Amino acid sequence: MSAGTPKYATAPDLPGILSVPKQRGRIAGFIYRHPTIAVGGFLVAIMLLIAVFAPYLGTKDPTALAPARRTREPSVLYWFGTDMLGRDVYSRVLYGSRVSLLVGFSVAFCASVLGTIIGVVSGFVRQIDAVIMRIMDGLMSIPPILLAIALMALTRASVQNVIVAISIAEFPRVSRLVRGVVLSLREQPYVEAAIASGTRVPVIIWKHILPNTLAPLMVQATFICASAMITEATLSFIGAGTPPIIPSWGNIMAEGRALWQVKPYIVFFPAIFLSITVLAVNLLGDGLRDALDPRLAKRL
Amino acid sequence: MLSYLVRRIVATIPVVLLVALFVFSLLYIAPGDPAAIIAGDQATPADVDRIRASLGLDRPFLVRFFDWFWHILHGDLGTSIFTNLPVTHMIAQRIEPTLSLMTLTLILSLGCAIPMGVVAAWKHGTWIDSAVMMTAVLGFSTPVFVIGYVLAYVFALRLDWLPVQGFTPISQGLWPFLRNLILPSIALGLVYMALIARITRATMLDVLAQDYVRTAKAKGVGQRGVLFVHALKNAAVPIVTIVGIGFAALIGGAVVTESVFAIPGLGRLTVDAILRRDYPVIQGVVLLFSFIYVLVNLGVDLLYTLFDPRIRY
Amino acid sequence: MDRRSFLKTAAVAATSALAAPRLSLAADSKTLRFIPQANLANLDPIWTTQYVVRNGALLIWDMLYGVDDKLQPQPQMCEGHEASADFKTWTFKLRPELKFHDGEPVLAKDAIASILRWMARDATMGGPIKRQMEALEVVDDRTFRFRLNKPYPKMLFALGKSSTPSLFIMPERIAATDPFKQISDYVGSGPMRFNKDEWVPGAKAIFEKFGAYAPRPEKANWLSGGKRINFDRIEWQIVPDVGTAAAALQNGEVDWWETPSSDLVPLLKKNGKIAVDIADPLGNIGSFRINHLHPPFNDVRARKAIQIALSQEDYMGAVVGDDESLWKTLPGFFTPDTPLYTETGGEALKGKRDYELAKRLLAESGYKNEPVVLLVATDLGIVKSQCDVTADLLKRIGVNVDYQALDWGTVGQRRAKKDLPSQGGWNIFHTWHAGADCVNPAPYIALDASGDTAWFGWPKSDLVQEKIAAWYAAPDLTAEKEAVAELNAAAMDHVVYVPTGFFKQYQAWRRNISGVVKAPFPVFWDVVKA
Repeated sequence: MSAGTPKYATAPDLPGILSVPKQRGRIAGFIYRHPTIAVGGFLVAIMLLIAVFAPYLGTKDPTALAPARRTREPSVLYWFGTDMLGRDVYSRVLYGSRVSLLVGFSVAFCASVLGTIIGVVSGFVRQIDAVIMRIMDGLMSIPPILLAIALMALTRASVQNVIVAISIAEFPRVSRLVRGVVLSLREQPYVEAAIASGTRVPVIIWKHILPNTLAPLMVQATFICASAMITEATLSFIGAGTPPIIPSWGNIMAEGRALWQVKPYIVFFPAIFLSITVLAVNLLGDGLRDALDPRLAKRL
Repeated sequence: MLSYLVRRIVATIPVVLLVALFVFSLLYIAPGDPAAIIAGDQATPADVDRIRASLGLDRPFLVRFFDWFWHILHGDLGTSIFTNLPVTHMIAQRIEPTLSLMTLTLILSLGCAIPMGVVAAWKHGTWIDSAVMMTAVLGFSTPVFVIGYVLAYVFALRLDWLPVQGFTPISQGLWPFLRNLILPSIALGLVYMALIARITRATMLDVLAQDYVRTAKAKGVGQRGVLFVHALKNAAVPIVTIVGIGFAALIGGAVVTESVFAIPGLGRLTVDAILRRDYPVIQGVVLLFSFIYVLVNLGVDLLYTLFDPRIRY
Repeated sequence: MDRRSFLKTAAVAATSALAAPRLSLAADSKTLRFIPQANLANLDPIWTTQYVVRNGALLIWDMLYGVDDKLQPQPQMCEGHEASADFKTWTFKLRPELKFHDGEPVLAKDAIASILRWMARDATMGGPIKRQMEALEVVDDRTFRFRLNKPYPKMLFALGKSSTPSLFIMPERIAATDPFKQISDYVGSGPMRFNKDEWVPGAKAIFEKFGAYAPRPEKANWLSGGKRINFDRIEWQIVPDVGTAAAALQNGEVDWWETPSSDLVPLLKKNGKIAVDIADPLGNIGSFRINHLHPPFNDVRARKAIQIALSQEDYMGAVVGDDESLWKTLPGFFTPDTPLYTETGGEALKGKRDYELAKRLLAESGYKNEPVVLLVATDLGIVKSQCDVTADLLKRIGVNVDYQALDWGTVGQRRAKKDLPSQGGWNIFHTWHAGADCVNPAPYIALDASGDTAWFGWPKSDLVQEKIAAWYAAPDLTAEKEAVAELNAAAMDHVVYVPTGFFKQYQAWRRNISGVVKAPFPVFWDVVKA
């Protein structure tokens, strides 16, 4: 084996009927095998970079008012134009990515953790399973947007509260998913064996259950992330979300909604960014599901 | 079958009860004072206190809850603080637009999504498949209101085909009724369509790989016949499931759609009520929504038996 | 259950749910479709003081006196009055032909019951009259009399006031309702009757012509004169989305829009089928309301810091936009272009804005970067724009802003709290006052500086109160002007509140509508649709 060849065992030469799949570089191979992960991941990474480096991308203070130069059309000076208070839409959209990504990822995280805990408890402790699942049914029967609006009315508008509100609306679905996985795993011989041999429950959960829930959970989390970003935008749009002083895509669109006929760019640019980001996360989720669980891939 | 139905319905009671208590306590601790809104800018603080007392908002939590609950048991959802109308009356007024919007949305999205999913499965792996899947992902990556504005701009203002806003009851004719609902239904239906198209495609792929379809093929049933008769029948169960699960999302979407297209439905009623702290209305509507959700999912379970004779209760 | 019977049941359920009464008819010249400024959630103009409710009530109920475009009260339901020389006895006689919507005649007892209910809720004029009233009595079926223990020369202004709550005449049985409870019977005395069956609160309200209404012979002028309606139906459609409302007017789905956003006006003007004009010549005054109870703004120097730094141009730009014909700076508290308007003492609001001086004044007041609570109502455009400008301004003068995004309902509750800002109270909120309510000190509750009993913010200045009393006592216009000039200076010096400017709003209608007038309320009489 010469130095230039890759360090994996190549199959012996096959008869001419079967062509040898072309060996590709690691990255190229990955992209070829999982195009959706690659495209989705790439777009998400770009959005993350935009969010992190927003101050260095030619932006101005996104909250600085200048009523004298309000509702300017997009130009060299104001790439995406200015809004009703003369704020630079380009800067606001770029800074807005921070809110959307923060909300999306935080909700995905919180809902997954909370859902997993409740799902595992419910799956393991038969006595309270029914009660927990009824509560989850109840929560799920309230439309998530209405629940979030009600929770926002309950507390002051803030990004944290948006995250909490959307997480509460999302986690029952996770808990159902996890519970289902737990119930099916419990029947597996190796888990039964572990229980029979007196392994403590936390150890079983940690060693056998959690690793197996990880794959469906990750897939679910990406979809929650995507839907949380849409929900945040919708909440802000109807005035029950992120405080208006913080530029978020939903807020920018909410402020521009009255002018969609005359100044469509105020709504248009944040909408494009939101759609691309959500699309990217959804693609990532699709790809992950295909990669992690081909069986599941066929079902949804 | 009947006993199953009864058991299922009985099982929903604690869910609905729980929702009731949850919503009630949530609103109890929420800030915001309807009395202050009613009194208006010119009122003195003493006036506000008197209004609050006359609305019974100064009573303790449990007293208010049980009072409310007692009335619910008698089919009385209370009286709106702001309009002084019975909540049941307000809901009755608003239910037609919302129900119509949802029904049309369902018809439209099922009507488009199932063929889309079938075609995608049929042409699995081709550009048609990718195009359908891409459209589907786009469908749930765009907020409803953006789609709504674009539709209104193109089809109402530019082309002048359809009205921008409003609602006409079906009793005034089918076309006037449909005219007002087409744009909102498309806007609202896109997400749903995306979901259903994906699930249809996935199930079709699953089914097509199964033995009996291959047998049917071998027996000489034409391509189209195979796809539709055998596969679709099997795809019905997951499709119906997703319709049930997506129902809550549909209600949420209706809230936004109704306000963009000025449709006097339940969604707008709820948002207005929340913003004004019209407690009896919020409680009534949320209770109704969770009740409908539970009913829809009960219906979904019943539909299973229609589509899949193996399932028996 | 088999599939067919299931579908059948479903179909029956669906159709029965869809069976509803026939609603609005197609557009014709006898139906006017109007988008009001806000949602009409109830119709008791005494119980609630929202302008939109007053505007709807103006169709349903008539008034004893109605103001004309000079804001002078003219007899409306009253045939005439007689006042004693000392202004202590006022006798009023109703017109004989007046009828309620149920066909009953309007009698003195109905007027008295309506007056009593109104007095209980009107703090600016009704309340004070009640306190000096010895009797309000029926003389005969059509005549009633006030007997007072002190002179009240401005009685007609009180009975005809257009600021809320206005005095609407209802049947005695309805007016007997507790003033703090809502009425549920809308039998009126005005030119239109309310169609309660078709009312969908939050979506639409229908008014139908009342055939037996007897308009006065004179030509209508605002709320005075003959209220002749040329429509069988007036439909109020509530369109929550401003963009949708504009599109509906462009598409001819509605005839008249009360408050189009000024940014959309150029678009509407381009449409040859739409006319656009100023809605209310008396306009509105934006308000930067300060809590006088708590630091830093319990110190007049901190309030002056705001006054000297605040740029009305910025506020007005944010509220009404580029159209400079819509707004002007307002170095005073009273409505421009009205007799008592004055700029005396308003220097602090003119000229270059001085952030350095503001910072110095704040430091002198002892401000040490404590959070300043700004209550923001995100659901009211005019309020929200002002709050955004304020947040920016406070940042510039080194104030640590706590921007609390709430809805108007919550702001309404929070602003009534006298607690410390850190414990649920507040420092600043924004609102606006109708210019019609700021023409003189009587309806002007925002200027009252009586401390604990004053309006939210509870300013306390004996000098301001003294000048208000001087206006009430003023015998003629010259004396009134003098008193108001001094009042303006005193209120500016005390910084009771800071006006953020004077602004007007547009109204827009389809060109097949004619007869729309400029007024602080929509005037439907004499409007014609081709």
